[in-house]
Amino acid sequence: MAPPIFTVHSLKHAYAKETVLEIEHLTVQPASIVGLIGPNGSGKSTLLRLLGLIEKPTQGTIHFNGRPVEPFSDEARFQITLLPQEPFLVRRNVFRNVSFGLKLKGNTKDTAKRVDEALALVGLSGDAFRRRPWYALSGGEAQRVALAARLALNPKVLLMDEPTASVDAGSAQLIKEVSLRVRRELGTTLIIASHDWQWLNEICDEILHLFNGRIFGTGRETIVFGPWQNMGSGKWGKMLSDGQRLIVPVPPHQAAAAVISVLSFDEGDTSVRKEDVGLSGTVSRLSLEKKTGHIFATILAGGLPFTIRLNPEQHGKHTILPGKTLNIRYRLDQVKWI
Amino acid sequence: MHFLLEGFFQAFQLLLSGDAETYSAVLATVTVSGYSMGCSLLIGIPLGFCLGYFDFRYKKPIRTVTDTLMALPTVFIGLLVYAFLTHRGPLGNMGLLFTLPGIAIGQTILALPIVVGLSATAVEGMDRKLRITILSLGANRRQLFLNSLWEARHAILAGAVAAYGRVMTEVGISMMVGGNIKWHTRTITTAIALETNKGQFGMGVALGLVLLAIAFFVNLSVSFLRRRA
Repeated sequence: MAPPIFTVHSLKHAYAKETVLEIEHLTVQPASIVGLIGPNGSGKSTLLRLLGLIEKPTQGTIHFNGRPVEPFSDEARFQITLLPQEPFLVRRNVFRNVSFGLKLKGNTKDTAKRVDEALALVGLSGDAFRRRPWYALSGGEAQRVALAARLALNPKVLLMDEPTASVDAGSAQLIKEVSLRVRRELGTTLIIASHDWQWLNEICDEILHLFNGRIFGTGRETIVFGPWQNMGSGKWGKMLSDGQRLIVPVPPHQAAAAVISVLSFDEGDTSVRKEDVGLSGTVSRLSLEKKTGHIFATILAGGLPFTIRLNPEQHGKHTILPGKTLNIRYRLDQVKWI
Repeated sequence: MHFLLEGFFQAFQLLLSGDAETYSAVLATVTVSGYSMGCSLLIGIPLGFCLGYFDFRYKKPIRTVTDTLMALPTVFIGLLVYAFLTHRGPLGNMGLLFTLPGIAIGQTILALPIVVGLSATAVEGMDRKLRITILSLGANRRQLFLNSLWEARHAILAGAVAAYGRVMTEVGISMMVGGNIKWHTRTITTAIALETNKGQFGMGVALGLVLLAIAFFVNLSVSFLRRRA
């Protein structure tokens, strides 16, 4: 296995003395696509800004290609680039926006050609867009121009913060295709933060789930917030909106959040144990894990989304389709608290 | 009102005939304001950028002091500079009292807080996303500074014009530090004050018109630069 492109050690970042990110250890392999998922304020954007060397971590180190780096490090400038959530274009035309980084790099050879190539990558015609001023672009076009400005640099690492948050389905598809293409053709490593687990799942090799500034899973877990009630007979839990009871182990405190990973659905599943906790829900969405051919089924139970991973045989055998009611199960001893 | 109309008529005569005394005051004003604006922009823009851009300890008190200094009375600056440049003062041996560079020092003190304060406001008003964009495209420190400054140029220019307006129209410093010496340190504003005292409205109005013309020319240039940018 190639040495990691990013190695993060004991990373801690705080704003106004409040810790917003804490990662003990993280490695990212070169030419991989890593997804970051988590609710607002979970630390996704902060992690991207630190990896993008926009900010210096309060504590800890980031190694890029084996060397410690920080903002303005010559080892990483022009090799790592970040596409922020809200694209910002300087008050110039598309050509000057896309060539902005090339100019900073001092690379002015074949600028016109490289700008056109970058625009073509994001599905924009150079002839139609090159001279267009920044204010004459739609939100989706501005996002693509901002992406083209990053791609023109041929970066080793492309970090994208919510790239599909404010674009239509077509643009989201295009960003997905571009991501896969730059990884394939240029060997670029991509780290993408998004709320769209399904979209991430379609392109990522690995998904990291962030919550309260910590990485704790793969994004398939369901986070259920307190307050928790003592249900009697030593059981704790909460009533869901459809009247079902969600049982959890004894919470560390009333406001703790429970991380629940669904193991299975009990339709002929032999691994189901009597002590597993069951919930009934409706299949709301299916998505394909491209790398393995597994199917992810999202089941809504009492308003909470739970995800199960099915192999192709299981899926074929049980004909799981959206709208079908399933009994899902999770293990009480595997519920984690955060 | 009659004397005012006469003054306007006389003013055009003085300007069109190239009256040496009038043009001497104009030249002194342009020279001294050129020096003082050059110095205050050179020092003030980087200082204003740092004050607006970076977060550091005592930033707020420094900002408050800067904002207060923006309203410094010109006679007070004149008094201070005079005290420093007079023969008994700490810089007396430099021989700057009653000279144009002496006035320029006072006017720099007048313009500097305005340039610093308004540049800091311009930089603070910049979109935070601009910094992330410039950094994410690989800028080093110098490029970050220059590109951020370039994006805030219109607001900084507006600050510079405001400072120039203050410098051009002040009387206190020029009078106290310059001494209003004919052919030497007499500026437009000190000449207007003197001529008005003498009851010579013609020259006063003529010089007032020149001041207006300079202000118009400066604003026209700024508008032109804005349109081109």
